[in-house]
Amino acid sequence: MKKVFIVIPVFNEEQTILRQVVESLVSMPFTVVVVDDGSYNNVPQALKQLPVRVLTHAVNLGQGAALQTGFAYAVKHNADAVISFDADGQHFAGDIERLLLPIFNNETDVVLGSRFLPGSKEKVPPLKRMVLQIARFVNFVFTGLLLSDAHNGLRSFSRKAIETIVVTENRMAHASEILFEIKKNKLRYKELPVQVHYSSYSSKKGQSVANGVQVLFDLVLHKFFK
Amino acid sequence: MTGIQLVLLTGVFFISFYLIVRWKKRSLDVVLFSLLILAAVLFILRPNLTQSLANKLGVGRGADLVFYTSILIFWFVIIKLYARMRNMEQKITDLVRKNAIEKAEDHSSS
Repeated sequence: MKKVFIVIPVFNEEQTILRQVVESLVSMPFTVVVVDDGSYNNVPQALKQLPVRVLTHAVNLGQGAALQTGFAYAVKHNADAVISFDADGQHFAGDIERLLLPIFNNETDVVLGSRFLPGSKEKVPPLKRMVLQIARFVNFVFTGLLLSDAHNGLRSFSRKAIETIVVTENRMAHASEILFEIKKNKLRYKELPVQVHYSSYSSKKGQSVANGVQVLFDLVLHKFFK
Repeated sequence: MTGIQLVLLTGVFFISFYLIVRWKKRSLDVVLFSLLILAAVLFILRPNLTQSLANKLGVGRGADLVFYTSILIFWFVIIKLYARMRNMEQKITDLVRKNAIEKAEDHSSS
């Protein structure tokens, strides 16, 4: 039996939505790790009676830092594969098995979920689509990897990948940093279509255009201050 | 001595006092800052020196020369501070992460 850890970075999520997301995952034979990135609300309370592990950051560090904490925990517990999953209800639990297959078949080290590949049915709002297109090309300029999507939180990683990839960008630039690391360490990667569900809640929690500028700034600095 | 000289010298005095109190044994910093302070005092007392230096370097006014050098120095300081900030953030992150993993509570068992 392969050990799979699902890492969910959480910061100030609506309690009922977080619970729904986690409930959709716990029925699967995987270990669910919720990394509470210093939320103001009580995350363990929201997840009461659910079979999950909650790791708590004493102060808020950012989504990248929360993800890395989950990775470190998974490595420590000898996970064979790790899934990263957003807490805002954007992703579907049903996509996970499909993302794990290429890892278990040893075809690839990282699978990146994409909302723009054929097979992903959900409609992406026009502004979001535009921002993501720009982000794709920014990623291409910085990493040399031209992907069909950017900043999609649903990914799967092999054991080797989480041991090699170390996320040091604490905030949102981590999504591009993961691509740097893939490239630098010559990890195998592929993209698979995943469903992304846009609710008014996930749009509110998601990244704005202003955030995109911040990410760009972080990326430039990352190149200099590694 | 003019009023502005008095104001600037008082400023330099307070800054050097603050630095001296805070100094541990970082000899390179000590030398660097001592030179800076000496230069500051010299230029305040003999403002014409900046003028002749500026003329030699092809800058019109002494004040402009001071302005240009300050920009360079500030750049350097900002970069140094930024590097230190990132360093510190990394340390905090490592600490918080270690703490989170150690304290990991298993909900299913509690």
